[in-house]
Amino acid sequence: MERIVEVVPAAGLHARPASKLVKTANRFDADVSVGRAADGDDGLVRADSMLAVTGLNVEHGESVRIVAEGSEASAALDAIEALLTSPVEDGEAENGDPNEVDGE
Amino acid sequence: MTGSRTLTGVGSTPRTGVGTARWYRPESGVTLPERPDPSTVDPDAERERFASARETAREGIRRARDRAAERVGEEEAAVFDAHEAFLDDPGLVDDVEGDIDDGTRAEHAVDDRFADAIERFEGMDGRMAERADDLRDVRDRLLRALLDAPATVDLSALPAGTVLLAERLTPSDTADLDPAAVAGIATVAGGRTSHAAIIARSLSIPAVVGVGDALAAVPEGTEILVDGEAGEVAVEPDGERRSAALAGDEASVVPDPVSTADGRRIEVAANVGSAAELSPASDRGADGIGLFRTEFLFLDRESRPDETEQYEAVVAALEAFPDDRVVVRTLDVGGDKRVPYLDLPDEPNPFLGRRGIRLSLEEHADLFETQLRALLRAAARGGGGDGDRDAGDLAVMFPMVSRVEEVEATLDRVESVAADLASEGVEHAVPALGAMVETPAASYVADALAARLDFLSVGTNDLTQYVMAADRENDAVADHHDPLHPAVLRAIDRTTTGAEGTDAWVGMCGEMAGDPALTELLVGLGLDELSMSAVTVPAVKTRVREIDAAAARDLAAEALACETRAEVRDVLGLDG
Repeated sequence: MERIVEVVPAAGLHARPASKLVKTANRFDADVSVGRAADGDDGLVRADSMLAVTGLNVEHGESVRIVAEGSEASAALDAIEALLTSPVEDGEAENGDPNEVDGE
Repeated sequence: MTGSRTLTGVGSTPRTGVGTARWYRPESGVTLPERPDPSTVDPDAERERFASARETAREGIRRARDRAAERVGEEEAAVFDAHEAFLDDPGLVDDVEGDIDDGTRAEHAVDDRFADAIERFEGMDGRMAERADDLRDVRDRLLRALLDAPATVDLSALPAGTVLLAERLTPSDTADLDPAAVAGIATVAGGRTSHAAIIARSLSIPAVVGVGDALAAVPEGTEILVDGEAGEVAVEPDGERRSAALAGDEASVVPDPVSTADGRRIEVAANVGSAAELSPASDRGADGIGLFRTEFLFLDRESRPDETEQYEAVVAALEAFPDDRVVVRTLDVGGDKRVPYLDLPDEPNPFLGRRGIRLSLEEHADLFETQLRALLRAAARGGGGDGDRDAGDLAVMFPMVSRVEEVEATLDRVESVAADLASEGVEHAVPALGAMVETPAASYVADALAARLDFLSVGTNDLTQYVMAADRENDAVADHHDPLHPAVLRAIDRTTTGAEGTDAWVGMCGEMAGDPALTELLVGLGLDELSMSAVTVPAVKTRVREIDAAAARDLAAEALACETRAEVRDVLGLDG
């Protein structure tokens, strides 16, 4: 099964969203791949590889195609879609930014 | 003698420092041995070496993550999650192991395969280039583990007055720096929001990044001035520029306590997460420490620190602030903060499980007792006299308090530790005691807590998480996680109002406290103390002096009446 979603996080498929995608893909009993929607099957890479996912250099606002096979394919798709369609504050907090997390 | 010249980059810590140039070139630290004949290589042994190097690298990454989480915050620590994801990349691991099976030694296989990956990312736009940095960081860890080579320059032991020059600094590099020794940082590459820049800011180290290739021509040993305000690096600065820059940097520091224009005293203190941060905090004019995190004493080691070690660490903090107060937070683990050798319960919802004081009163009762003994002994060293003080006043606060019963149980523990010390004839004193307000429950019963304690300290990051029911770590709900939501402001207001009529003072030690754009609001909400990253202390102190406390109260009332975050931001004159 597969799904096409528009990438909402400002960082695109980089940094935190990318490592979260890889972690999520690894969590389910499913083979997950991801690629630019426009690139068809040739553009798909394995979603459990940080190198492959960040190598796509997908920016915020691009559409990606997620393909999953396996017993938990649909749960994996749901989780990844939720991840990619949620806005993320820019992870690079400026100095003194009240949103900068300080562990308290 | 090249004469004075100025290079331009991007200022990333708005401070100035002068020192001696020292180049850090980590890539020269690892020399690969000759490639042996493939027929002489034992693939099984090499796979074993690779596996063990990966575990060493993983431990290092996790330690760096913990350190970054303590010093800078979860946001920045997350970069190390990406590092671990690269370390576990199945494609990369398969490639390396395939090369090994073909008769390549592990270090050559790692070097080759990472080089391919780094090359793909290098020279691309900013974010892709940052991935190349991440990969280099991971590769160097693996190679150092395989070749048993320590890093060339021990960044944690640089001579005082060093200005560190580098092509780029990895997050791990920057987290190792000792701010007491490093007068400044200048890098060829990198931007203001690079992880290294953010960590440098948290350590108050003057920094200019992205200077470009011109920096590469600066010889080792040259005198360098790093002006993080102007984004300039002056090579062999003339005397006039030196004194002007340093005087300017000093001028922004306000060493004395500050009051609002109409005379309300506000303490502006620093959050400190390691011994290395004590002296920068005092240099930046902090009125003591409003949050001394004790986790660093427990990280980076195999077993728990003993009473003496904890006592000495606290005394060092008291001696760094002889005229002020040092608020020590007892061990705060659980939730997202893990310490490998402390068996923490595995729970479905760690943030709603055993954290902070809950662990201290239950599973970690013995550890808590050791910490209390150390603290009560250290308290005897603090304050008391006048004129001849060599140590500040100790205050101790307990994390993750949500119930009056916990405070009562904690006070009982303190009393019994005091009785033990007395019967042993050990010098001790009971310090001021307080609770952190990080849960809605604590803000609802703030009156009852304040009646039993000497102070309350609002931890806005966790308070926001629990009031808004939004996981700090979950980007999907980041929009919910903003301390400027009216619900959070009202929880803070409830806390300060609850303490009215008691002798307890109320402080704040979340990152929100360090934003000068929010100082007026926080003064208006009735906070007596604001504690923050040391680097923002001067700006907040300057701001406090401009504020009229009566007008601040009106502003806070207006913010508390808002219904949405957008309205609050509007009242405060902030963008969207």
